[in-house]
Order: sequence, then C-alpha cells, then structure tokens
Amino acid sequence: MTKCVSPNAISTILANPSPESSSDVPEIVVQVIELKATGASGNRFMFTANDGKMKLRGILPTNMGSEVMSGNIQNLGLIRILDYTLNDIPNKPEKYLIVTKCEVVSPPLEMEVKSEVKSEETGIVLKPKQENEIKSEVKSEVPGIFLKPKQEIVAKSAAQIVHEQRQNMAPAARMSMTRRVFPLVSLNPYQGSWTIKVRVTSKGSMRTYKNARGEGCVFNVELTDEDGTQIQATMFNEAAKKFYDRFQLGKVYFISKGTLRLANKQFKTVKNDYEMTLNENSEVEEASNEETFVPETTFNFVPIDSLGPYVNGMELVDVIGVVQNVSSTMSIRRKSNNDTIPKRDITIADATKKTVVVSLWNDLATSVGQELLDIADKSPIVAIKSLKVGEFQGVSLSTLSRSVVLVNPDLPEAKKLRSWYDSEGKESSMASVSSGMSPSSKSGSRSMYSDRVSLSHIQKNPSLGEEKPVFFSIRGYISFIKPDQAMWYRACKTCNRKVTEALGSGYWCEACQKNDEECNLRYIMVVKISDASGEAFLSVFNEEAEKIVGCSADELDKLKSEEGEENPYQLKLKQATWNSHLFRVSVAQNEYNNEKKQRITVRAVAPVDFAAESRFLLEEISKMRVSK
Amino acid sequence: MDTSSPSVFVNAELLRMHVGKKVRAVVHVTQSDGEITTGKSTDEHQLIVKGLPHVSLMSYVEVIGIAESDQSIRAETWTNFGNTFDAQSYNQVCQLANGEFKGLFL
Repeated sequence: MTKCVSPNAISTILANPSPESSSDVPEIVVQVIELKATGASGNRFMFTANDGKMKLRGILPTNMGSEVMSGNIQNLGLIRILDYTLNDIPNKPEKYLIVTKCEVVSPPLEMEVKSEVKSEETGIVLKPKQENEIKSEVKSEVPGIFLKPKQEIVAKSAAQIVHEQRQNMAPAARMSMTRRVFPLVSLNPYQGSWTIKVRVTSKGSMRTYKNARGEGCVFNVELTDEDGTQIQATMFNEAAKKFYDRFQLGKVYFISKGTLRLANKQFKTVKNDYEMTLNENSEVEEASNEETFVPETTFNFVPIDSLGPYVNGMELVDVIGVVQNVSSTMSIRRKSNNDTIPKRDITIADATKKTVVVSLWNDLATSVGQELLDIADKSPIVAIKSLKVGEFQGVSLSTLSRSVVLVNPDLPEAKKLRSWYDSEGKESSMASVSSGMSPSSKSGSRSMYSDRVSLSHIQKNPSLGEEKPVFFSIRGYISFIKPDQAMWYRACKTCNRKVTEALGSGYWCEACQKNDEECNLRYIMVVKISDASGEAFLSVFNEEAEKIVGCSADELDKLKSEEGEENPYQLKLKQATWNSHLFRVSVAQNEYNNEKKQRITVRAVAPVDFAAESRFLLEEISKMRVSK
Repeated sequence: MDTSSPSVFVNAELLRMHVGKKVRAVVHVTQSDGEITTGKSTDEHQLIVKGLPHVSLMSYVEVIGIAESDQSIRAETWTNFGNTFDAQSYNQVCQLANGEFKGLFL
C-alpha cells in the first residue's frame, strides 16, 4: 500500500474534469490539508487536495462525514479519490473538486507534502491554466495578425466577445455553458462567484414596509438543493418586483450573483447559518427539463379543545376542521404604514365539539377564502398549517405568509372528520373553545382546567418560566400557613402601594405624594400547598389570600391582638388549613444572591367544583387507559 | 375507618350481579311513601329502596345496604345529597369500580 501521494495527482484530475465512471479514474492519492467543517449542521467537509506540487480546493462526499468525525480522515492524512467531478468557477482559472467517492489511505503525515523539484514543474503547472485562458490570451500571443482589423472596430475584450456570442443563445443554454453547480453547503460570504441549482420549496407573499429610509417591498423564498440543504433568499424593492413572478413554488432555478451573510437567528426559518439576498443584478433562470415538485405538506394537527396552552406562544399550530361559517372580506388598516390588507374569518369545528375562528390574511383571504365562501354550504373540510395562536376572544388563530390552506384534502384525518360530521357532528351543538374559559384577565382568559398539572410537574422542572412566566392550573390543599411570617404590608388607601410611617403621625405614600392618617393592611404571604404528587410554597397576594383565609388582613390583624383561650388568630389560620382550592398560578425564575430560584405565584383562586372535577378526573383516567 | 364490610358501587345493571351482598347506590327519588322509596338509578332504571324515612322528591340519596333482588335494596345507612348531583360521573365510577379497577375497591 502506497503511503504517499500519487505524483501529478492534481494534474491528472484537472486533465479529466468529469470521468465517466470510477473505472475511468486512475490511482489518485492526495493529501488532505486545510480540512474544515461546513454546511448547515457542520457535517460536510471542505479541504484542499495536495499532491506535493499542486493544490486543489474541494469538498468531501457527505458519506465521508463520519470518517472525519471518527478521526479516520484528518488534516495531513491521505485519501484515495475513486470518483469525482471538477467544477468550474466562472471567470476564474481555479477549479473546485467535488469528491463523490473516496477511501482512507493513511493517517496524518508529519507535515504537508512538498515536492523537491519545483522549477521544472512550473511549465506543467501552467498548461492547464493556459487551456482556460486561451481566449483572453489570444491577443497577447498573436498580436500582430489579430489586432489590426479590430482597430477599425471598437476593440473588444475576449470576455465581451464570448458574452455577445452567448447572448444569441437560448437563455438556458447560455447559463449552462459557464455553469457548474455548487452545492448550497459550500457557499459562504467570501466565495467569489457561484451558481446553484435549487427548488423553491416555500414562497412568501410580498410585504410592504415603511422605515426611516422610506418605503419598500420585500418577499422571501425558501430554496432547497439536491442534497437537501436549505437557505432563505430575500429580495427587496426592485429585485422583489423583478423576481416575484419568476419564482414559482416547486420549480427549479439556476441562481447566481447573490450575496450571503450570517442569518439573523431571530427570524430564520431554515437551518442554515447563512441567508441569501438577491438584488437586481442577480441571475435567476428556470431550469428546463426539471419536473415541478411541490414538497408534500406534513401536518401535526392540534384538536381545537387543546389550543389553550398555545395562546400567545411562539409555537405555530396546524388544525383541521369542518367549516361552519365564512365571513365576507374585511379591509384592515395596518397601524405601521396605513396599508389596508384583506382579511376573512372562518369558523371551524372538529370532533371535540369545539369551534374556533381562523383569520385568513392577504392572498389567503381573497383566494382560498373566496373558494370556501362559495362551497360553505357543503361544510367543506379545511386543513391549515402554521397558524399563530392569539388570545382574542379567548383563543384565535391567524394565518402567516407561510401558512398553507388545503380544502377537502386527501388525508386520513379529513376522512375521519367527514364521517364524524356526517353521522353526528352536524347535529350536535358546538361551543366556542373560548366559552369554557373564565374571562378573568389575571388568569389570562383560561379556565381552571386548562394546563392542569400536578405540583410535582412544576417542582421537577426548575427551568420553567426562565424567559417568560408560565401559567398552570392546580388543585391542592392548603397544608400550612406559617403564623409568624410577615403576612401583610401597610398600603396606601388610594393606590395600594407600600407606605412608610410619616415623621409626625400617619403614613406617607411616595407615589401619591401625600400623607394619610390611616392605611390598609394588604396580604402578602407564603402558603404551603400539597397535592397527591408533592408540595410547594406559593406566594399569595391580597385578593386571593382573603379567599383562602376567609377574612381581610385588617380583620386578621385585629384577631391577632385579641386575648383568649385559643389565640383566635392561630385558629383562623388553622381553619384555613386543609381546605382544597383550584389555583391559577404563574411560575417564574427569580435570582437571589446569584442563585436562580423558582417562584410560584397565585393569580386566581376558585373553590373546587366537585362535579366538574369528577368529570375532569374521569377524563384523565380514560386518557391513561388509551395511552396504554 | 371501618373497612370490615365494604359495599360495592352499583347501578341498576350491576345490582343484579351482587344480589345478597352489601351494595351502595345513588337513587334519584321519584316516589317516597315512608316504607318504600322508588327512584331512578344512575343508569336510568327503576330501583326500590326499603327502610328509608320520608325523603323529598327529586333529591339524590345514596343508599348502603343489602341487595334483596336485582331491583331492590334494603337500606342500612343513607345520605341525602340534595338536589344537585352528577349522576353520570357516579355511574362511570360504578363501571370503573366493577371493571378494571375492581381491586382498588374490594
């Protein structure tokens, strides 16, 4: 086994840019240098092939990723190239080596292989380059003969001549002459020019905006290449208008002259560290002979009665339902730029016997919205992907530019829904999903049965509420109220804020900037709650504490100072203990002395409705049995 | 808690399987004349309870006693739940208590 590079390996490769098959490839062993990871998940590897005399930049096949990760292929190691393609880099003499098949030959050598005899080789090295530059070198090689006639005409550079020749050819052929396709994964902001061959797998709608610099329009597309790598491409203003109609979902295009930059993590929708911008000079040409392939939309349906937990969250949901009602188109004025955009509301119902309103915006309102209005009396089934869940009227769904609406789709869930509706659904009375919710704004318009968890669920997840407070419902018993805790604070009668004792008499409120002889006492206490799964300490404020204790803080204070056989204050607290309640709580993270601690705060208290609770428990039991 | 003689949760359908045994059932009173009380079981069938005092109509009463036939119970203890009661939930409990969760109850 040779453990050295094949002499002139690079020239061999350069001389045969596209071998017919691997049997066409002679023994080519090269040294891997400048190995580095690239691509969306860092599993593709770029390298430079070195044969001691020449170097060639290239990329390893995807299936060799594991060899690199395991250390079989390392920098300074040797590989045998079994099959490859050489790509041109337009307007540059260098080539790019795409290795399609290779095998490991040797672990890392001590250093970069360098051939000793260099001077003789320079002639050989230049030759391949000469082949490419022959057109531009025409002038210099034979100056006398060619230039004279040209002097009468405007002198043209070879590049110009070639360009003019090509202009007369059909567009697709024009691009295919210079075009060698780069894998999306090999693109980076510092790469010179490239051409990619990609399919449009998602197309956003055109949006207008107004900022300090003026008005504009923008849209973006999601592009996917043969390897499955995806990238988002954005176009503004002139470029947007130029390419909006040209880009069609599912079609394949050759694209070049775009710019790459690091993707903004907040807004990126595809897994790629980079995102692309196309301007008016970018080139976009449809690839002929490519089938239009619109990737199948995959759904993950959420039943309507389970939408509660998603309200105001970032997660987008998919729903399927029978259309009960379609509104006419409404024009909504956008606050940011006074644009008017069309909107249409549809009401859908599913087998949970709940209904929800879905707002269709822009194109969806006018196109599919109209279609639904026309067939509304036939109770069509509609499946929608990527909806935002809002809290208008309890629960509301809204489409985004990436939402997909399918009418009467050929899906198993649609068939099930159809048979449910035809047999019992259309007769049964449905309730809006929001109607089961308490309208209290404190609890975020959710009922005591949504997001019901056990105390252990909260305790076992110390990272809950790290970014934004999370809300839950719990049912538990007050197991202990510590009598000697600071249970209340002195509050301003007007604004409820904490007051301080004034110098003379009375109390001073900093916020109201006034003195008052009297103040209120307002509860601020910690109580211990227990349920079947565990126990926790909850912070409780005035209104909720009054319900738990059964009297106001002022009254409890009076009891405290009363004398008696059994301290009535302690008695009152005892009486509050071992009562069960339904609590709506928020869980957040607090920092105390650089330590993160979970804080559970009661937002609402309600007495246990035993009949409703029984129904809830019976449902939980049946869910347990189903999941077995 | 005295667990020496547990009573089986029954509705009308389950009663016939426990004739002669100690049972408990909730009836929705439709007739009450001192000696015999007639009511609707939680699964909507007629049951007869013997030995109850006068009970107001339309109230829900839980009866614990011996099942004398597949349609009647001789009451030993009883509790009046008043006019509001979720009979459906109770019925489901009866089914669960006699079905896969039998072991938890007897």
